[in-house]
Amino acid sequence: MKIRGGQPRGRRLQLGVRGRDGGAISALNINRTGAPMSGSEPLDRAASSLVPPTGGKTRAKDSFDPIRHQLLTGAILLATTIVALFSSGAVLAVCGAALAAVHWLSGRRWARAIEKAREEKRFLDEQLIQSQKLAAIGELSAGIGHEINNPIAIIGQEAEWMRHLLQEEPGKTEEISDSLREIVRQVERCRDITQKLLNFARKMEPVFQGVDVNRLVDDMAKLVEKEAKLRSIRVIRIFQSDLPALFTDPPLLRQVVLNLLNNAMHAVGEKGAITITTSASGRDFVNIVVSDTGCGIPKENLGRIFDPFFTTKPQGQGTGLGLSMCHGIMDRLGGRISVSSEVGKGSSFSLALPADK
Amino acid sequence: MEKFRVLVVDDEIDFLETIVKRLQKRGLDATGVDSGVKALKLLEGEHFDVVILDVKMPGMDGLDTLKEMKRKRPFMEVIMLTGHASVESGMQGIQFGAFDYVMKPANLDELMEKMTQAYERKTLHEERKSSGRSGAAGSVRG
Ligand SMILES: Nc1ncnc2c1ncn2[C@@H]1O[C@H](COP(=O)(O)OP(=O)(O)OP(=O)(O)O)[C@@H](O)[C@H]1O
Ligand SMILES: [Mg+2]
Repeated sequence: MKIRGGQPRGRRLQLGVRGRDGGAISALNINRTGAPMSGSEPLDRAASSLVPPTGGKTRAKDSFDPIRHQLLTGAILLATTIVALFSSGAVLAVCGAALAAVHWLSGRRWARAIEKAREEKRFLDEQLIQSQKLAAIGELSAGIGHEINNPIAIIGQEAEWMRHLLQEEPGKTEEISDSLREIVRQVERCRDITQKLLNFARKMEPVFQGVDVNRLVDDMAKLVEKEAKLRSIRVIRIFQSDLPALFTDPPLLRQVVLNLLNNAMHAVGEKGAITITTSASGRDFVNIVVSDTGCGIPKENLGRIFDPFFTTKPQGQGTGLGLSMCHGIMDRLGGRISVSSEVGKGSSFSLALPADK
Repeated sequence: MEKFRVLVVDDEIDFLETIVKRLQKRGLDATGVDSGVKALKLLEGEHFDVVILDVKMPGMDGLDTLKEMKRKRPFMEVIMLTGHASVESGMQGIQFGAFDYVMKPANLDELMEKMTQAYERKTLHEERKSSGRSGAAGSVRG
């Protein structure tokens, strides 16, 4: 904040207070030959109770208009003196010599007003973040509600059917055990969802250890290989042999790689290939890329695949938590995950991890 | 190498006996039991650093045992041993907090390496906990 003053204009002296960004916050018009002031004590009180300009949005032109100024600041400007009307109702006259003091004090006052406005802005920003958070939670809750509701509905139906069978046709044990099996399946599904959510919520701090990336990726490839073979999916490894040392959380990274492989298997379905590549970008990053020759991802979905509960899998098959979990893990590992895809050709998910921790 | 305590859980008695013997030969304090229930019982009174756990066992299977173990001993690291690799069981195991997967028949060197890493992790985890950096117990995987 800067106090600008002493520009004589006709018989008037203009004093302006400028904000840090250069915009006029307020200004006072005063006649040079103002009456002598009435003592310092009321000046202090005056300055401390001076009403700050409303909203700080006073335009330069407005602030030189005595009547508007009066409306805006509560100060009444007269021809020869400033008579400030304060919120307390006190009236104060000041003259030339004391102006600097008035402005210094009122400047401080305005500085405080600006600080207050900043605080308000911070508060509003926080509110905004909070409401965005709430919106996200709302979306998440809707997702959870929806995901859990379906199995519960099925469990309810099956239980109802079992009750009916037990009452009317107790001999149909085959059908009853069918229903029971379905109930167990749906309970498993609920458990799967809640477990994933708990893993989310736990936010466990990673434990960084030296990791042989090729080895880790190879182990995960082995887990999918057998199934891949049965479905005529080739698993191709292209590993760079001299990767820089990587310090990361091994089980978390395994989780990410396995999720990507699982998605790739699903996208390919039958007949095709999954290519796993490891490489280094200089000495700074280690990259793991999982590409597939699967169905690909439509442009309109690309922005949503990392959202919790976004899934295109049939009802009851995917939780839609896989990729959002991967994203969360990569954040915690200090890395990044990105995707490129073309419908009908395939998709490619890239992980970049900082080589040195 | 530091000597740490290993528990092997597998229903194939032959395999169990051999591997426990071989691990002991390598200087580890190894114990074997042939079921998940027995393993959990043993954990009531004893302390282990690393567990080797067979996925496919009659009765209480590996995944259920894993869940229970991680609930009781969140810092104890568990390596899953599997005869038939499957994406589904891998996903579940790692989600429930398994440190790693090893395919049967397990290569002893590979297993040793993984166990050493698992033990290192447990030590790091505990160090961090005692130095108070991780704060709440909620930051622990389990
Ligand atoms: N490799 C891929 N090829 C094509 N589409 C993909 C691929 N990976 C992910 N997707 C799309 O992104 C969606 C979200 O994936 P995500 O892993 O988060 O959940 P999901 O696989 O549907 O469910 P879950 O992981 O619980 O089985 C998928 O439903 C699919 O539409
Ligand atoms: Mg998935």
